[in-house]
Amino acid sequence: MAQCVQSVHEFIQDSFVPMVAVLCSEDAEKVTRKNNLNFSELLRPFCRLTSEGHMRDPNNQVQVVKNLRISVNNVVTRPSVPASGTPSLAQRLLLSEVVSTCQPAEGGVANVITAGDYDLNISATTPWFEAYRETFLQSMPAADHEFLNHYLACLLVVSSSEAVPVEKFLKLSQEQHRIQHSGEYTNPKWFIPNTLKYYVLLHDMSQGDEHRADSVYEDMKQRYGAQGCYLLKVNSRTAAAGADEQIPDPWSQYLHKSSLQNGSLVNSLDSTHPLQLDTSGDTPGSLDALRAVAVETKAGTAAAAAASHGACLTLNDHDRIRQFIQEFTFRGLLPHIEKNIRQLNDQLVSRKGLSRSLFSATKKWFGGGKVPEKSIAELKNTSGLLYPPEAPELQIRKMADLCFLVQHYELAYSCYHTAKKDFLSDQAMLYAAGALEMAAVSAFLQGGAPRPYPAHYMDTAIQTYRDVCKNMHLAERCALLSAEILKSQAKFSDAATLLIKMTSEVSGDCDLRSALLLEQAAHCFINMRNPMVRKFAFHMILAGHRFSKAGQKRHALRCYCQAMQVYKGKGWSLAEDHINFTIGRQSFTLRQPENAVSAFRHILTNESQQASSQQAAFLREYLYVYKNVTGVCDVALPQLPLPYINSSATRVYFGHERRLAEGEKQAATHVSLDQEFDRDLAAMWRDLEEQVVASANRGVVPATFQATQCCLNSQTDNLRFPLAVVEEPIIVEVVFRNPLKVPLVLSDVSLLWKFTLKDFSRPQDAAVGDALAFSNEKETLARLKLLPHQTGQLNILGLVYNLASTPSTGGTTVSSSAALKSDGPSPADGTSVRGRQDLEIQGPRLNQTKEEKTSVSHGPDRRLDPTITPPMPLLEVFFLQFPTALLCGEIRKAYVEFCNVSGVPLCGLRVVSTHPDFFTFGSSSLATPLTPLSPTSFENCSAYKTLATPPGATPGSVAAVTLVSAGDFGLGEGGSGTSNGVAEIPLEDRVLKPGQSTQLPLWLRGPDHEGVHEINFLFYYESAVKGGKISHRVLRHTVFICASRSLCVRATACRSNTLPEEEAEEEDERRNGSMLVFVDVENINTNEAGVREFHIAQVSSSSKQWRLHRCINPAEDKDCKLNSRERGKLCFRATRCKPVQGTIMTSIEKYIFADLSLGNEQIISSTTPCADFFFRRCPPSDSRRPPVAVETQGRLSRSQGAGPGGGAEDLTSLVRKCNEVDLDIIVLWKAFVVEDNKQVILEGQLHVALQTIGKEACSLTQKEEAQEMVLLKFKPELPPPMTRPSMEQLSHLIKTNLHYPESYRHPFIHKSLCLVPVTLTLSNCSLAQVDVIIDLRHKTTSPESLEVHGSFTWLGQTQYKLQLRAQEVMRVPLRACFLHAGVYNLGTPRVFAKLADQGAMCETSQQTATPALIIIINDT
Amino acid sequence: MAVCIAVIAKENYPLYIRSVPTQNELKFHYTVHTSLDVVEEKISAVGKAMADQRELYLGLLYPTEDYKVYGYVTNSKMFRKLHNSFTDVMCNPFYNPGDTIQSKAFDGMVSAMMVQAS
Repeated sequence: MAQCVQSVHEFIQDSFVPMVAVLCSEDAEKVTRKNNLNFSELLRPFCRLTSEGHMRDPNNQVQVVKNLRISVNNVVTRPSVPASGTPSLAQRLLLSEVVSTCQPAEGGVANVITAGDYDLNISATTPWFEAYRETFLQSMPAADHEFLNHYLACLLVVSSSEAVPVEKFLKLSQEQHRIQHSGEYTNPKWFIPNTLKYYVLLHDMSQGDEHRADSVYEDMKQRYGAQGCYLLKVNSRTAAAGADEQIPDPWSQYLHKSSLQNGSLVNSLDSTHPLQLDTSGDTPGSLDALRAVAVETKAGTAAAAAASHGACLTLNDHDRIRQFIQEFTFRGLLPHIEKNIRQLNDQLVSRKGLSRSLFSATKKWFGGGKVPEKSIAELKNTSGLLYPPEAPELQIRKMADLCFLVQHYELAYSCYHTAKKDFLSDQAMLYAAGALEMAAVSAFLQGGAPRPYPAHYMDTAIQTYRDVCKNMHLAERCALLSAEILKSQAKFSDAATLLIKMTSEVSGDCDLRSALLLEQAAHCFINMRNPMVRKFAFHMILAGHRFSKAGQKRHALRCYCQAMQVYKGKGWSLAEDHINFTIGRQSFTLRQPENAVSAFRHILTNESQQASSQQAAFLREYLYVYKNVTGVCDVALPQLPLPYINSSATRVYFGHERRLAEGEKQAATHVSLDQEFDRDLAAMWRDLEEQVVASANRGVVPATFQATQCCLNSQTDNLRFPLAVVEEPIIVEVVFRNPLKVPLVLSDVSLLWKFTLKDFSRPQDAAVGDALAFSNEKETLARLKLLPHQTGQLNILGLVYNLASTPSTGGTTVSSSAALKSDGPSPADGTSVRGRQDLEIQGPRLNQTKEEKTSVSHGPDRRLDPTITPPMPLLEVFFLQFPTALLCGEIRKAYVEFCNVSGVPLCGLRVVSTHPDFFTFGSSSLATPLTPLSPTSFENCSAYKTLATPPGATPGSVAAVTLVSAGDFGLGEGGSGTSNGVAEIPLEDRVLKPGQSTQLPLWLRGPDHEGVHEINFLFYYESAVKGGKISHRVLRHTVFICASRSLCVRATACRSNTLPEEEAEEEDERRNGSMLVFVDVENINTNEAGVREFHIAQVSSSSKQWRLHRCINPAEDKDCKLNSRERGKLCFRATRCKPVQGTIMTSIEKYIFADLSLGNEQIISSTTPCADFFFRRCPPSDSRRPPVAVETQGRLSRSQGAGPGGGAEDLTSLVRKCNEVDLDIIVLWKAFVVEDNKQVILEGQLHVALQTIGKEACSLTQKEEAQEMVLLKFKPELPPPMTRPSMEQLSHLIKTNLHYPESYRHPFIHKSLCLVPVTLTLSNCSLAQVDVIIDLRHKTTSPESLEVHGSFTWLGQTQYKLQLRAQEVMRVPLRACFLHAGVYNLGTPRVFAKLADQGAMCETSQQTATPALIIIINDT
Repeated sequence: MAVCIAVIAKENYPLYIRSVPTQNELKFHYTVHTSLDVVEEKISAVGKAMADQRELYLGLLYPTEDYKVYGYVTNSKMFRKLHNSFTDVMCNPFYNPGDTIQSKAFDGMVSAMMVQAS
């Protein structure tokens, strides 16, 4: 129970005080009316006696009466309360009014109670409860079974201005007598038949004659005795003097309350005269008046304060009144009570012994013992009277009450105790209960506590009142007293139980009482030694519920708020939601919409576990409340709790939203919000940008380089302020999540931003927020656009939107989403509110230093704070006729359109790609446009530059030769060229003016490997005006090319064993040697429906040393056609180029392009695009074989250390060189494809790089190669490979050739020995001197040598020792001798060779020539 | 049979709470919450007397008008089963102590203990 202002003793004493009635003459009433008071009101502030009184008890012991209060009331004859046990409607309204007017003070005393984890803020006092209690006790109707609130005395007041005051006194006295004794009135009740009458002469100092009053008083003293009358002089204050004198107003605290009290309230109905008896007044009438008064009090509290009381009274008057009360009490009332106690005591003593037995005897006689009148049935109904008012049984009770009133609790207790026994034996339950109650109370009040407080008395009393007597009123009083006593004894648990018991019934009319008692019970729980916090909270909620049922909304709200402290944030979500919801509702009805909104917000922001219907209700209510709030104050937009915004998922995009396709044109994909962020991709783009920036800055990446980020999200680097360009939109994508199970409708969404102007060169202009609308169940995105018109610093703060629940009329299901609404005012059917939500993005968690690791700190995130910079050029790139699918190696021509859509000129246009071999813009050196610039005029033309072959020439007979420098194609030099995939785009004037657009051809070549290829382009450009904040801008483009298999080209180079035909070849050429190149082409296309056949249109070669010479295909059909899965073979002779060609250009090595056309037109392979792709595909040979270069160098250094003798590396390289060919074959093909019943010719080129003689090279590069490179990369210190060249390599030093007639006729008959001259040609393939040994001795044991019938012998010298100079050809004439006709293999000579300066080395057997068969015919 | 079973964490927030008449869930939540006061009282009383021999069964906490609230164990095996199942949940390495219980096995066991709502 909360703390009370009064102590328990005070409280109980004040609950039972001597009652004094007042009868006032009309004139006297007038006198008091001057002060805006009636007589009883006038006295009320002075009714507590400050001095001690004394009286003697029947045993003549002096009893001290301390701190006595008397209650003075006007006589009211109308029964204010029906005698029944339940409170009347009027009384209930009164109590309700009392409670509702008594509210906790704003910011009042609150004590913090700590219980376990809970820190509760609880109002220390409950004044409303005390007010209720006081009012309740005061409005208790006078009951017949007890006398405590019966009138003990009556003040008869007559004004001195009365003509004959004495007569008036008489009249009033008679009146009193009539009221008490005539039997006309049941009310008021009087304590003792001879009520004390006290005569008061009221003298108005301002009006009357004081002497007359004094004389009348003298007269009165004569008549009534000095102790029975009083002259009270009031109104001594004159109106003139009154204005400036400040007089305390002791009435204010009493009168406000008292005006509500029933007695005076009813008085106010007939305020004309209190004696004007009006018996016809019935409850409804008084009820109406009461309502009126209640309204009046509500409205006019201030007014009442203004009409101050006691305006005509001075402080002297106050003292006089105080004096009067004291005089009356000590001289009149106490002696009267003393006398009466004595009388009663005498009566009782005289009757004792006799009376007890007599009474019981009579009872036995009359009742017969068995069938008493007070049968069980009757017992139940004991609310009716059992004893007449003057019954002897009641005398003891009367005495007890008197003793109690004058604080003689000991005597009172013994009397009550005796009375209790009597009543119980009489089965007079109501009386017994009353006696029990008072016995308990007086036992408690006894000083020194000779006996413990009999709590069971109280319990019995309450039970009896409630169950037997059905008198809730009395039961309640009893409970209130008992609870207070228990509380004072720290028996909080018992008190709580008692209080809760009183509330257990559910009837509707006792809500207020239940609420108050429950609240007190809750306070009991919290005040226990071990505070029971949860019980406190629960009972607070119950109290709040009852309060709200009783219409006490403020109190209900307060209760719920206090309970909330316990439930908050502990995971009891259902309870929490319930409380919040109730708080919200109550706050709203109490016009505290802010509180309501915040309470509702709690329900909605919690991860609600409520059912969807409940959520919908919450939401509706919330929106409704919210709307009312915003209706009141629309200054600042309030924060909305719904939907959730996933702030960190917010993405910001700078730039226009791009259209991906525009008719035929296909725009560069760039970056869009639709793309997911990919860390690897981002790194790739960053690398590309770094490359291109490096190439733009002469190979150095500036220290200030920062990759351009067009789209910022949680994973990008957001430490810097992003840069946005003026007049270019900023798109913010916000992710919403609806935590509820009901759909939300958002409309009119716009961004909230702050803008700081930095550059004042432009007039002030506002940025425009665009709006989107949507609704959904789970996660939804909204994109909002902002268009800056000025440079400066922009801060995007949050969102503003209208929130609504689904329109109920729409009949949409719960799961329905995307109720898109047009902007503008929201539709009328759903409640919608406008509010904001801030976007607060937390940066990434810092984890660098130790401090950061141990604490949780976050870095800044500047995603939403872009700096608006001056205009920059803006490039748009469109692709025309850009394919999506290509055959491997297919060449396609497409067009690119560059468009400068900004107002600033653009320059420095570059492109970098992940696949530089995929495309080319053509070589810049060939300035003349080779193909028509407009794509429309270019239909079905070859992408290649062609020349018609002369009509007479046989296809493939002679190769056309062109010399080309690699530098022309931007290769070779590492500077500003296309060194690593960066290509400058050949713009005219190198500048693209504002609004200008230009189209450039673009050749594409299908990737060599089949499958889908992702190809990324990064276009780089700068502003022509330097010095801006943004150094450059980029544009991304990603294409996906599906490559399908076309042809597979395998090529092998072989040494040609035949000697060049002498007649045709010059000596030089012969010396240089020739080679056979076999090109194996296979159609590996699997798409049989599409590609009908492939034609090999042309085979070209490109090398620094070799060139294709002529086609030596044996097949008739030169135009090689390949159907599906077919395979064709082409043979070519290649020759080494003339040394002249190589020596002219020593500084810049030139590539020799040789074209061997198989069709009727020659494709000039040395021009764009063929050569472009050739160079892009094959970088210069040195860089192509880096490991070899390293190898050579390493060995060189080692040899230098070893001395001049060791030349192993020279040897190796020499040996290797002789096997090396550096010949690239370009196979140009045409494919006939049926597409939409139309034949389309596709062209393409495949590259094969021949490096070593005899080693097959394939156009499809093997995967292993790449892996090898990686391995080399990881082991830079590779162990030196074998120091000496392998046998296999050494066996290729010398090329041998036998020249002999195919068949030889010899008449064996004539001559038995046949001699055939054979020439053995030895040619040195290497560039060094070679020692050669030729061994002619027969060795046919080798299994591989062809077994031929018979044998032959070489004649002459069987072993030669020769030395061949570099690339020297030597012929050795030999003679073979045959004995029989037949077929012989001449290829038996074995040739051994060693490098001439390598003395230590053995000669190595040279690769034998193929079997050389000769037919010897017997010529007869 | 039980109408409502709740597992409450040491810090007095619900780990698991389920009741059979779902329409009156709120009331049960309040009841359970309020009973924690009694549990706390009993535990603290026992803790003073003999900390070791703490009986897990708290017996009848308090009766409400319609139901009786028990702490932990009754003479039937009901609470023992609940405890075993709770131990299983705790042993789950993927269960983060202090989280609300979302175990199917636990759910099933609790359902078996509940009054079968018609």
